[in-house]
Amino acid sequence: MIGAPAPAGGGPVPVSSEALRIDDLHKSFDSNEVLRGITMSVAAHEVICLIGASGSGKSTLLRCINLLEPINAGRISLFGHDISGPGVDANLVRRQIGIVFQSFNLFPHMTVLRNVTIAPTKVLRTPAAQAADEARALLDRFGLIDKADEYPDRLSGGQQQRVAIVRALAMQPQLMLLDEVTSALDPELVAEVLEVITELAAGGMTMLIATHEMGFARDIADRVCFLEEGRIIEEAPPAELFTNPQDDRTRRFLRRIVEAKRL
Amino acid sequence: MDANSPVSPGSFAATGRGPRLFSGGGTRATVISSVSTIVVLGILVVIFLLAPGARAFEHTFFSPTDMWRSFIGNPRKGYYSVGAAIWLNIRMFLVAEVLILALALFVALIRQSASPALFPIRILTTGYVDFFRGVPLILVIFALGFGLPALNLPVVSSQSDAVYGVAALVLSYSAYVSEVYRAGLNSVHRSQVSAARSLGLSHGTALRFVVLPQAVRNVIPPLLNDFISLQKDTALVGTLGVIEANKAAGIYSATVFNFSSFTVAAILFLILTIPLARFTDRLIERDRRRRLAGGTR
Amino acid sequence: MRQFIVAACAAVVVTVGLAACGSSTGNGSGTGGGGSGGSAAGCAKSGLSHLLHTPGQLTVATDNPVYPPWFVSNKPASGKGYESAVAYAIGAKLGFPASKVVWVQEPFLKAIAPGPKSFDFDINEVSVTPQRAQVVTFSNSYYPVQQAIVARKATPIVTKHSPAQLKTYLYGDQNGTTGLAYITNKVQPTKQPKVFDTLDQAAAALEAGRIDALVTDTPTAQFMAASQLKHTVLVGQFPTVGEHYGLVFTKGNALVTCVNKAIASLQSDGTLTALQRKYLGIYLHFPTIKP
Repeated sequence: MIGAPAPAGGGPVPVSSEALRIDDLHKSFDSNEVLRGITMSVAAHEVICLIGASGSGKSTLLRCINLLEPINAGRISLFGHDISGPGVDANLVRRQIGIVFQSFNLFPHMTVLRNVTIAPTKVLRTPAAQAADEARALLDRFGLIDKADEYPDRLSGGQQQRVAIVRALAMQPQLMLLDEVTSALDPELVAEVLEVITELAAGGMTMLIATHEMGFARDIADRVCFLEEGRIIEEAPPAELFTNPQDDRTRRFLRRIVEAKRL
Repeated sequence: MDANSPVSPGSFAATGRGPRLFSGGGTRATVISSVSTIVVLGILVVIFLLAPGARAFEHTFFSPTDMWRSFIGNPRKGYYSVGAAIWLNIRMFLVAEVLILALALFVALIRQSASPALFPIRILTTGYVDFFRGVPLILVIFALGFGLPALNLPVVSSQSDAVYGVAALVLSYSAYVSEVYRAGLNSVHRSQVSAARSLGLSHGTALRFVVLPQAVRNVIPPLLNDFISLQKDTALVGTLGVIEANKAAGIYSATVFNFSSFTVAAILFLILTIPLARFTDRLIERDRRRRLAGGTR
Repeated sequence: MRQFIVAACAAVVVTVGLAACGSSTGNGSGTGGGGSGGSAAGCAKSGLSHLLHTPGQLTVATDNPVYPPWFVSNKPASGKGYESAVAYAIGAKLGFPASKVVWVQEPFLKAIAPGPKSFDFDINEVSVTPQRAQVVTFSNSYYPVQQAIVARKATPIVTKHSPAQLKTYLYGDQNGTTGLAYITNKVQPTKQPKVFDTLDQAAAALEAGRIDALVTDTPTAQFMAASQLKHTVLVGQFPTVGEHYGLVFTKGNALVTCVNKAIASLQSDGTLTALQRKYLGIYLHFPTIKP
């Protein structure tokens, strides 16, 4: 079952059921401090939604978690193992964490199938035939099997994003990070992607989702974190945060969302 | 047609089908194209022939007997076959091309790397590129072809002229082509690298399977430009004395005082370069069609 | 497919059009016909002005750089060196004092190529050949020529140069020269010779060991072996084949008639012989080898 704690792709056995722990994370780009002391934890199988205005640090946080960006201070632990210290093999860590980006980032010179199988074959050393079979099974499960031999540019945005999710899943990660994955899609294509995410959550995948889709966040999240200017302002289950926000800044943000008719 | 009536299907039909060179299909279009081409070229040829000095020009540059003789060659009479000599150009070009693709890629990757350990090599490669883009190729050929033998070193000083020529071509052209590769590498969006690394691909694997294939595809036209140039620059190796096509043409013209041999050499070079250009057009078109035929989403 | 058909039609039209007219008879190139100018009395300086490239002066051309024994210190105007001296002597016979002789530069291959010239005559060790005579006009001989071999010391060719052995070496020479023609016609080596754009490059190739031997006229060969190149020697000279040097004029230039008179005069009054003894005399005693 996808999302089970035993790392199928290899990697250290988890020493904690706490999937992800972040302690006082700081990140600056040159002199501009983007993350100013983030502390949070994610339990196994939990779905956390990050909300906040653009520039609040959501994307940067996700990119720090999967070590795409080096951090300036703080600590990140994945299932109890420190992944932010020196001497950590970033490639090994990234096998455990899947990430999907706002702009899909499929490889345009490869077919959909190849996009999905490239990492398993090169990184996990899965034999080609087995990787192809597993890839087709995944594509089939998400309704993309007839696109397996197409090139990404022939797919709609929603299809491409679903392929991107499948590509990340093919590595059997223990944690999925979704960085505003529907923000670049036409409205009528958003639903099919949200369906996929819902199914993943139902299957028990631990997920950290940065999103502007407030309705979706309210439905799927175990907890919602509101970020502003690199800090977590408020963190609560969706029912509480959306109906009874404690902090003034949260209230202001939600009011703007409502005014924009997005809630 | 009033403002309220729907637009009839045929009202936007144009007589042609767009700006492509040979649009549409059919035998009729072929016939028209052929006739039109023959007429235009025929007019040009007639104008050319009527010009004063046309006869002299043709005899000097387009004399069939001289073209044939120089093509075949006759060592007894002191001149050599241009047709045979072009094989030397072809062989030099093929060997040089492979080596250039490899060396230029190496140089480009070094220059693009950020690793502190490679710092001294990065400085060296930057110096290499600056030097060989600045020094004319003919000087490099001279330096290697006359200079290296003069050093009397064990293996280095006893190679054939063609080897020195190829070495000079490789050193000189790799400097240019490495810049083309760098442009290609820079043209691949950083997000591709992010996606590849996020999947756990190592830096080298990401480079090899994700970045380089895209980088190279993006710079095929300038790469090809440099290679057509390379094919012609093999003629410069003749200054070392070796008889390649251009030198053979020069020997004929110095012996017989007719320049038709150069016309033969020019035609042979065109036969080399034009198919390569068309083949690459096809490659680009096929790659484009395959990737972008989706149209609207 | 259509592109190919049209391209093929185009190629046929162009080739037929050009070749059909290119095969017309006639040499085409070159200026006007011959015709003698300068009557017996007309070789005085005043009668020549209409034949000169620049009236009032005698424009003489040679290459750059130029070497002994033909010129000295690359200065044609010094009057020293066989060809420099001969040029001034001819000028004097035509009535031009040294101050009225002007030197210009012309590469060897350009001087013997067809077309109008920007000088009155060129003096640069140019051998008279029938092919060259079709496109330029030559004066009578001012020096008879034999070809000689230059090679590095202590290489096989220095001692082994029978006709059969001569065929085995790798030769190099300047494009378009009678030295190169001698190699390909008379020596007929088994290996294709190397052909250079200038004689200096051939000499450099010899010094660097890229060729075994170089063929050029005996005086030039002697200068190369003795002064210009290191560790080289003149192996021997080939028998004469009637080759001689002539001054080069634009085809059909009538000035040649008066110049020939001047040369004849210099021959009969002993000037030419004296100059040859002075500049070229020491070069007359080399072994002759057969091709």
